Amino acid sequence: MKLRSYLLLAAISVLLLGAGRAETSRRPRYGGTLRVEIGAVIHSLDPVESTPDPEESAAKDEIGSLLYDQRNPDGSFAGVAGSGAFHIAQWESGKRLTLAANESYRGGRAFVDAIEIEMGRDAKDRLVDLALGTADFAEIPPEEARHAGERGVRVSASKPQELVVLAFTTGRAAGDDVRAREALSRSIDRAAIVNFILQREGEPAGGLLPQWSNGTAFLFPTAADTVGAKELWSQIAGSPPMALGYDSGDSLEQAIAERIAVNVRDAGITLSTEVISQASKYDLRLVRLRIKSSRPRDALAGFVESLGPASGLDIASLPANASAEQIYGRERDTVSTYRVVPLVWLPRVYGLGSRVRDWKSPDAGEGWPLADVWLEQESQ
Amino acid sequence: MTFRTKLFWVFTIALLLSVGAIVAGVTIVSRQAFEESNRQHSEALVAQFEDEFQRRGQDVVHRVQGIADAEGTVRMAIELSRPKADVSVYVNDARGVSQSHQLDILDFVASDGAIISSNEWPARFGYKMDWLTQTADWASTGSFLMRVDTQDGPALGLMSVSTVRVGDRDLYILGGERLGKDFLNSLVLPAGMRALLYLDLQPNFDATNLVDTAGPVMDGDRLGPFIEQERQNPVPQTFRISWAASDPSSAEGFHALPLLGRQKELLGVLLIGSSQREVVLLERRIRDLALGAVALGLFFGLMLSWWGAARVTHPVQKLAEGAREVSEGNWSARVNVRGPNEIGQLASAFNRMTTQLGEQREQLVQAERVAAWRELARRLAHELKNPLFPLQTTVENLQRAKDHSPDQFEDVFRESTGILLSEIENLKTIVGRFSDFAKMPQPELGPVQVNDVVRAVVKLFESQLGAVGRPPITPELHLEENLPVIQADATLLRRAIENLVLNAMDAMPAGGVLMLRTTHQDDSIDIEISDTGGGLTPEECDRLFTPYYTTKQHGTGLGLAIVQSVVSDHGGRISVESETGVGTSFHIRLPIKPASPPVAAHPIHQAPDPVPAEPQTAPAPEMSESSESPASEGT
Repeated sequence: MKLRSYLLLAAISVLLLGAGRAETSRRPRYGGTLRVEIGAVIHSLDPVESTPDPEESAAKDEIGSLLYDQRNPDGSFAGVAGSGAFHIAQWESGKRLTLAANESYRGGRAFVDAIEIEMGRDAKDRLVDLALGTADFAEIPPEEARHAGERGVRVSASKPQELVVLAFTTGRAAGDDVRAREALSRSIDRAAIVNFILQREGEPAGGLLPQWSNGTAFLFPTAADTVGAKELWSQIAGSPPMALGYDSGDSLEQAIAERIAVNVRDAGITLSTEVISQASKYDLRLVRLRIKSSRPRDALAGFVESLGPASGLDIASLPANASAEQIYGRERDTVSTYRVVPLVWLPRVYGLGSRVRDWKSPDAGEGWPLADVWLEQESQ
Repeated sequence: MTFRTKLFWVFTIALLLSVGAIVAGVTIVSRQAFEESNRQHSEALVAQFEDEFQRRGQDVVHRVQGIADAEGTVRMAIELSRPKADVSVYVNDARGVSQSHQLDILDFVASDGAIISSNEWPARFGYKMDWLTQTADWASTGSFLMRVDTQDGPALGLMSVSTVRVGDRDLYILGGERLGKDFLNSLVLPAGMRALLYLDLQPNFDATNLVDTAGPVMDGDRLGPFIEQERQNPVPQTFRISWAASDPSSAEGFHALPLLGRQKELLGVLLIGSSQREVVLLERRIRDLALGAVALGLFFGLMLSWWGAARVTHPVQKLAEGAREVSEGNWSARVNVRGPNEIGQLASAFNRMTTQLGEQREQLVQAERVAAWRELARRLAHELKNPLFPLQTTVENLQRAKDHSPDQFEDVFRESTGILLSEIENLKTIVGRFSDFAKMPQPELGPVQVNDVVRAVVKLFESQLGAVGRPPITPELHLEENLPVIQADATLLRRAIENLVLNAMDAMPAGGVLMLRTTHQDDSIDIEISDTGGGLTPEECDRLFTPYYTTKQHGTGLGLAIVQSVVSDHGGRISVESETGVGTSFHIRLPIKPASPPVAAHPIHQAPDPVPAEPQTAPAPEMSESSESPASEGT
């Protein structure tokens, strides 16, 4: 009996010791360098200097959120570089950027001492580096999230923050007839795109805003209607074949475009795919729209900014405090013209190294919260 | 065309025909040999292709089976056999597996026929391939041709299907090799041959579906009719096409093999092309060589023909030359041709013939001379006998009168001497005539108007023509006006015409018409003197111009001989036409300008010779076969 009591006491002591160690490991610690890899190549960190490359622009925005403390009402950064959680320690244009923690940051010093950002790493390299542990943080394509997880990479996906749409080019005969546009929209199997191409990382999109934004996304149908599409298409006599443009550097766009070409063929629609270039003449193209605000109206405004007035989306007449119903109505009006055909929502997916702790996926319009991340010390 | 030229052409044509036949024969035989070789080559290639095709099929079967047997595939089949299996995980697997197994076409297909993953058309996941599930035993099917839908459009694939069965579910692995330019590139073809592939994917011929190792075939439209023919009758066929009409070496022979699917439907056509370029070039080289040999042969053949023709015709030419000389009167002409052949024998016969002819001619001349001298002796005897007889009788009368009647001797003497003188004068006249003929003067040429001479002669005889006591003879003159002046001796010419007029008058003792006509040709004038007398016999005509020949009682036989001599001396010719009972016509043709100086007259002793010893100096008289009347000798 006594022996049993001793044994029990020893076991409890061991468990308490282990729990204490576990508590210690969950406690944030300062220090370390966070190794970040990005695909973009940034040539200038000046926030005023604009760039035509959306990937570079987005990356600049993310880094800017680490360097600047405040933003102007239009979303641009305010103040001086270094007023944020980090300041620039080393800068090699287009190659590497090292940020050092700002000791006097008013929001408190970042846990990591520095962030090393290596530019120009493609998605495959980023995944490999994450798997090998030579990178701590990288954004990865949603369609690779599943494979990344299978390779042992910690994956963090945000709520849907990106909308992939088909945008018809104005002035092209192929997209003039709304029935043609509707037939095309109805023939697309969005669920198959999500399940197979996106490997279930995403949601079929019938409207412009995701469900979490305005709460009305479920009102828009997303299922394919090949029969209806075929019937619609048959009503159009002599409609010319259509050309779908996609970004040559985006494998996801290419896969979606090719799938759409297969889908619309079932409805009798002739659609070819081609890479967007200055010489190409496409009737519609794939566009990826980043949701820049968690507020529905501002998110729609961001779409207008990206798509231009040709989208038919009227935001100016929408009051700043527009209700969900008003926004839905405006959304529905836009979608019913089929000039913009929503396809899928995509989350932002991040790969995390094994020592990264306390990472939280940012909301729409927010930058990477790397100041809150800390690194667990590697065991020797 | 000479005999030599004819013979040359005969040899040449025979040579050309022989050489042409040989060249044509060589060309045809070589072409047939090349075509046969080419055909065997093509058939071997077709057989090779079929073997290669089978080998490829087996290879595809093995590779697809290899995929089916792979651990990953088996694991996939196991996962898919579970309820609510997530097939999306495998959507990209076909790409990697196809690359590792070097297959152009690869589809993983679920037991319900839905495509799980596709290499040739990745976006086609979820679509059904129901035909896969309808065949129970794919293991025994082997490889087959199939139309495959790809992202780039329809394609033709050499396919195989394997299955992995887990529980009651099958995982189908459809894999294959795309038949296209890569496939054609992998075929080992000998130089000059190529393989084309037509993918029979459209209802009508589309040249873009016809590819070779470099892609779409240039001028592929030209092969459209043959493809259509193959489409209508899908059996192996051969045909030939010339890509450039002006270049025979552009020709290409094709073996067309239909590519059939599992249901024996036509999916494509494989064309094995064999360029005829080498054959044509070889044929051209042979032809050029043959032509060169022909040209060389022709050159030497022509030389040989010319030499042969010359060798054959040379003795013939000699014979012809000898015959020509003989015809021109050279009876001593001989042909110097020797040899045992027919030509040599002919030459010997010719030489013997001319020798005999010469001897016979000499004998004839001798006979003629003897006859002429006899005729001359007869005429002289006849002419001299007439005055000699009165001389004899007169002398005898004188002797008789002196012996028997001295008183009358004076009278008789006076009368007899008168007779003697008269007869001696007569003898002198006779001798003078013969002397005159012997001394025919050389003509002295000068401008002469023949019409004037004719008129003068007629005027001279005008009184005699209409003399009282004899039947009248009517002269008729038909003289051509503007008769050109000729170069002649007027005196001799007048003498000749006078002789002919006198002969005509003698031929018309009962009167008649004396016609004189002058005409002129290009370079000569004709004088015709005709009578309406009794005419001459042919025999008389033959000897008419022979000196001392006469049919008259008091003629010397020299008149027409003199006429002929004058005409000959002027370079002219005289002939006679006569018809018994109708009359006789003498035709004289005189050149306006004698070609050569007048030849010397014949000495009298040669005059009787009826066959001229020197033919070029005295044209023979031409006489008709009919007629003749006794010609007068006016002198």
